[in-house]
Amino acid sequence: MTRISSCASKWGLVGLVALALVGCRSAKQGASSEIVPSKVYPHEIVVDFQDGTTLAQIQSWETKWGVDLRFNSVEGPVDGVAIARLGPETTVADVDAALEAIRANPHVQAAEPLYSEHEDAFIPNDPDFSKQWNLKMIHMPAAWDRSKGKGVVVAVIDTGIAYENYGRFHRVPDLAGAHFAPGYDFVNDTQHPDDDQGHGTHVAGTIAQATNNRIGVAGIAPLATLMPVKVLNAQGMGNSADIADAIRWAADHGAKVINLSLGGGMYSSVMANAVKYANKKGVTVVAAAGNTGRGKVEYPAAYPSVIAVGAVGPNGKKAQYSSWGEALDLVAPGGDKSQGPEGGILQNTIDGRDPSRSVFAAYQGTSMAAPHVAGVAALLYAAGAKSPAQVEQALYQGVHRIGGTAWSAQYGHGLLDAEGALHALHPSRFPSAFSPLLWGLLLLGLTLLTVRGRQRPTYFNVLFRPGFLVTLLLSTVGVFFAHWITGFWHGSISMLDLPALPIPDWGGWLFGRGAVSPLFYSALIPVLLSFIAVPWKALRPVAAGLAIGFGGFLGYAAWAHAPALSYLPFSFMATPWLVVNTLVCLFLARAMLRVEKAV
Amino acid sequence: MKLSGKVVFQDLEMGVWTIEGDDGQVYQLAGHDRALERAGKRVEVEGDVKEDGVSFSMAGPMLSVKRFRFL
Repeated sequence: MTRISSCASKWGLVGLVALALVGCRSAKQGASSEIVPSKVYPHEIVVDFQDGTTLAQIQSWETKWGVDLRFNSVEGPVDGVAIARLGPETTVADVDAALEAIRANPHVQAAEPLYSEHEDAFIPNDPDFSKQWNLKMIHMPAAWDRSKGKGVVVAVIDTGIAYENYGRFHRVPDLAGAHFAPGYDFVNDTQHPDDDQGHGTHVAGTIAQATNNRIGVAGIAPLATLMPVKVLNAQGMGNSADIADAIRWAADHGAKVINLSLGGGMYSSVMANAVKYANKKGVTVVAAAGNTGRGKVEYPAAYPSVIAVGAVGPNGKKAQYSSWGEALDLVAPGGDKSQGPEGGILQNTIDGRDPSRSVFAAYQGTSMAAPHVAGVAALLYAAGAKSPAQVEQALYQGVHRIGGTAWSAQYGHGLLDAEGALHALHPSRFPSAFSPLLWGLLLLGLTLLTVRGRQRPTYFNVLFRPGFLVTLLLSTVGVFFAHWITGFWHGSISMLDLPALPIPDWGGWLFGRGAVSPLFYSALIPVLLSFIAVPWKALRPVAAGLAIGFGGFLGYAAWAHAPALSYLPFSFMATPWLVVNTLVCLFLARAMLRVEKAV
Repeated sequence: MKLSGKVVFQDLEMGVWTIEGDDGQVYQLAGHDRALERAGKRVEVEGDVKEDGVSFSMAGPMLSVKRFRFL
């Protein structure tokens, strides 16, 4: 190499590295916008107590400050973060006075009004929204920024819904403005599935209570369409024939989500076939795990095509009544009233003793947990999910993991997180879709810098070799614009979808259900190709492209979101796995890129 | 079948009356006589377990009581 071209080569490398760094920084910033507190929760103050402050201590200060104090989340007892809630009649002066009193306490590290996380977060004006710890636990305000479930039909197969004024039945006030699709009453064989018990209306409220209407409480997917289907009588009991028929009927009449807050201990092939039918038609079926507290999930939740949902209380721990076991898929807020009624799930329903009377009631049960998942499924469909497989993959990838494990019999995959699920649905959105490529270029620069001068190829020789460039692109971003031609990819990836995905994501085609395979998220494929490239030197640029591409992809994955890789026993193993494999790719790339000494 | 146990009211779902059997199993009462609703009382019942029963309470196997007497 002449002195000039080696100089140009060196500066070219520096340029590459700089470009990649700038690109990565702006991509990361693009992904999470700066926190500009433009919206304040009107009656709530976040208080950071010293680590280890106990609940008993905190509650002893409640009366003194005139606030309702509780830990913000399951982390509370560890990190001391709590929320102080003032009454609905609070003025700005009251908040200031409370802040002053709180800050004077030596156990308080900091206190400030509670700001919303995102710039234009949707904080509903429903007066009792502040009592809905369950919605905050699953990160609803942030989720509402992304989706409100518009137009998705959710069938509530239960005791009916108080959705219409008909005879002695009345629509409850906080469902005025909610959307309904025609349903059916399989108990009485009529076209008026009105609620004569109260359970179904409560469940429907969690899914799609009228939100931001200055009445009562909020629901998870307020723009979804509720389909009332009555299969349970006024005593809350039903039979497998009616339920199986109802499942098929809902699937045939346009439901995309079915909620089954009911169950029994016996396997029924009639019901099992009905849920399989619905699933094949593209319906996501969600069911309550059961309230026996034992290690056996009830049916229909236990059928393979059904999402089985267990319950947690306000402290994030499994509720004592919640059934668990091998068939459990995840948990969601179901309520725990052992410490008081405010631990239940609050929705608008009818009085069981007088169906014409509307009440706001806080119940607990896995029946309350399941509709949280059904609501989030509706959000996912509205956000572009195309199949039950995609919905499930987003749900399980987006959970809040409990105890660091990928799955447990008490919590399934973990605690439902609406925002996490929506984020997991489209992980490769521009510009983060290009980050693996930028990381690849960064690694290329670093690799070439480690190769001694004379063995270093000029960056022209490397970068613009078609074999190198094409495999680099395929490994990091795939033929990304193919999405725009073929449409969004389907839950089950067909061969046609493959080129649109980066090569590491092809594992989803082989292992099904969008699984993130540790085999594909590793250096295995580059290693295999480089063995072939040792004797066949012409393949070296291709092998190098694969190694750099995979290295960039895996490195970025480790840094950005380290997805829970399937089959690994602990989710914390994901990051070290990715880091080690990135280094192996680097080593490989170095070997493939070295210009051999002229003989 | 004959069963003895304790009548328990669980504030679960819409509220469910159960019998905590001496056999260790919790049974959910199905369509029961209101006179049975004496929380905490020990009782001896005669009835049928509806194995294929389905409900929203999901607290245990459904027990349809024909005869009972408090102990």
